[in-house]
Amino acid sequence: MAKKTLGKAFRDFWYGKPHSAEEGGRRLGELYEDKTGLLKHREWRGVKDTFYYMYMIWGYNYLHMVTDILKFSNNPIDFVKGTWRYRWMGQTYLPVIHWFERGLQGMRGEALYASAWHYRAMVSASIHQICNFFNADTRLHGGKQNDAYRHTIYANETTCGTLFYPFMDDGYQYIPMEMIPYFVTCHVNSHTVLNYIDAVQSLGLPGDPCPMCQAESGLFVLDDVPDAAPVIITCNEACDASVSTHTLQDWFADKPLFALPVPMQFDDPLVKKYCMKEIEEMWRFVEEQTGARFSWESMVKRLERQNKLQRDEWEKWEVASKTNNYPINGVAQALFRIYSTQYGIQGSFWEEASEKVKQIMYKCVQKKINTFPQTRHRVIAWSCAPLYFSNWCTWAYNCWGLNVIINMDSLMFDMEIRTDSYDHMLEDMVTYHMWAPMRRMAVGGMHHIFELWDYMERFNCDMVAMYDQLQCKGMQGVHGLFEDEFRKRNIKAFWIPHALPDCRTVSRAEIRRQINDYMTTVMHEEPLDPSLLDFDDSMTW
Amino acid sequence: MLKSLCKKLLKLLGVFFLANAALFVVFFFDLDGKLMFNVVEPFLKKHYDNMERRDVLKTPYDINKFPTYKYDT
Repeated sequence: MAKKTLGKAFRDFWYGKPHSAEEGGRRLGELYEDKTGLLKHREWRGVKDTFYYMYMIWGYNYLHMVTDILKFSNNPIDFVKGTWRYRWMGQTYLPVIHWFERGLQGMRGEALYASAWHYRAMVSASIHQICNFFNADTRLHGGKQNDAYRHTIYANETTCGTLFYPFMDDGYQYIPMEMIPYFVTCHVNSHTVLNYIDAVQSLGLPGDPCPMCQAESGLFVLDDVPDAAPVIITCNEACDASVSTHTLQDWFADKPLFALPVPMQFDDPLVKKYCMKEIEEMWRFVEEQTGARFSWESMVKRLERQNKLQRDEWEKWEVASKTNNYPINGVAQALFRIYSTQYGIQGSFWEEASEKVKQIMYKCVQKKINTFPQTRHRVIAWSCAPLYFSNWCTWAYNCWGLNVIINMDSLMFDMEIRTDSYDHMLEDMVTYHMWAPMRRMAVGGMHHIFELWDYMERFNCDMVAMYDQLQCKGMQGVHGLFEDEFRKRNIKAFWIPHALPDCRTVSRAEIRRQINDYMTTVMHEEPLDPSLLDFDDSMTW
Repeated sequence: MLKSLCKKLLKLLGVFFLANAALFVVFFFDLDGKLMFNVVEPFLKKHYDNMERRDVLKTPYDINKFPTYKYDT
């Protein structure tokens, strides 16, 4: 008996405890401190994976955060000054390693190694953007409009970076205004954004529109957007609430502004034609206002790199859809994809991560490594995810064996852009632009939101995690249609209600409770790790 | 000569081992997270909460300040 116990203890030490309760496995929920979600101690993943995590993820990323700052910043002192000046910077990005922890919890082996490379690329891209902000920000340079300022183009975060490739050879850079101060902050530290939502409501504006639009306006209300560019390109994002956002941004930023709306009825060829014209107008605006010159070579060079990244992604999706050897978890898949497609080719971080992931993936294929061995259901996640709980997929796999294979955010820009002629390029570019986040498959019309069924089949999924953004009027309008279709098609589906960045409306615990209820009452299944069913992380980042 | 080299090497190994052990303690017990959550973030929050900010509502919204950017493309 004692020998058996000793044997198990040794195996647990060497390999880490097994996943499921049946095997006398780990109890990840017991690692959390009450409320804060901090860890009493990190998980022991076995000798190899614990030390891999410590050196190659935790230590490696801390170190590379510093080297990235030195690489991308014109003067590292500006980085310190920016941290002191901007709440979204100081409050959010210092605890970034905890973001890794939440997304990678419980992962082992190749799934751990590969998913971490996606996180690494996102951190590098974030530091790149942050440094670009601070290099150019007049507030950090005594009001001076320096060379970096004159070579920066501000655009709304859902205006794709691809549009600005023609100016990059001339040393111009594009900064998505809200991507770092708003979007990424919500994933890393969900407390920060609440200040911006409250700020805009404090002006007397209503609290029921999309909280994303509120937060983006709130950044300007609190004067927390760096003054880093002479011009702004805005768009309506996916919805009408955003139009109001940009009225406020136009007012508070007080700069020459070009509105480049994303059309709603984007399947209409006439709309497409109109939109092509608008993109060309926007290029003219940038040329006129900044002195930048449109360069076809600059455009083609970057588009070809972007197309290669897309082809790599298709390779990965092929493996994800047909095998159990795909080593990326749900949250790392979704965030890497939406971030890389929006920010575009502005450095080599996406390509480097993609190559590393491909290497790991092919090793898994060759050696037939089942990367998520406790998978009970292959899940497709549809619509817009809760930004403050994007790591719900990690929790769902650890607790229930729900493996999120693919998600809507990854699939939005499922295309290459032709570079053989200007006309082809523009035609494809406009499609890419119109398939903006939250537009194509969220509020982009019945045909597109119901692409879900095709993708479900393509990725061999047997369950749908349907996000339910309570303050998105567009998606609320089709809730019932989805319910009807799920019943008609006999599809297993559960809803995840949320309010995008605002963790106060639907808490993480409530999201977990809803999934737990579905898994017990509808699926009649037992949790793999019962310690994860219910815990209080109400104060967590 | 060899003895002093060995001593130095052992010392180096000792320092390396101790540094790694200390690093492991920080890593394993999430001391970096606890420091950020309990000390750094509250300190910074207080700073940001008390920061003087420009009242952006005082910016006049002159919608005719810049021309309408329309181009014949």
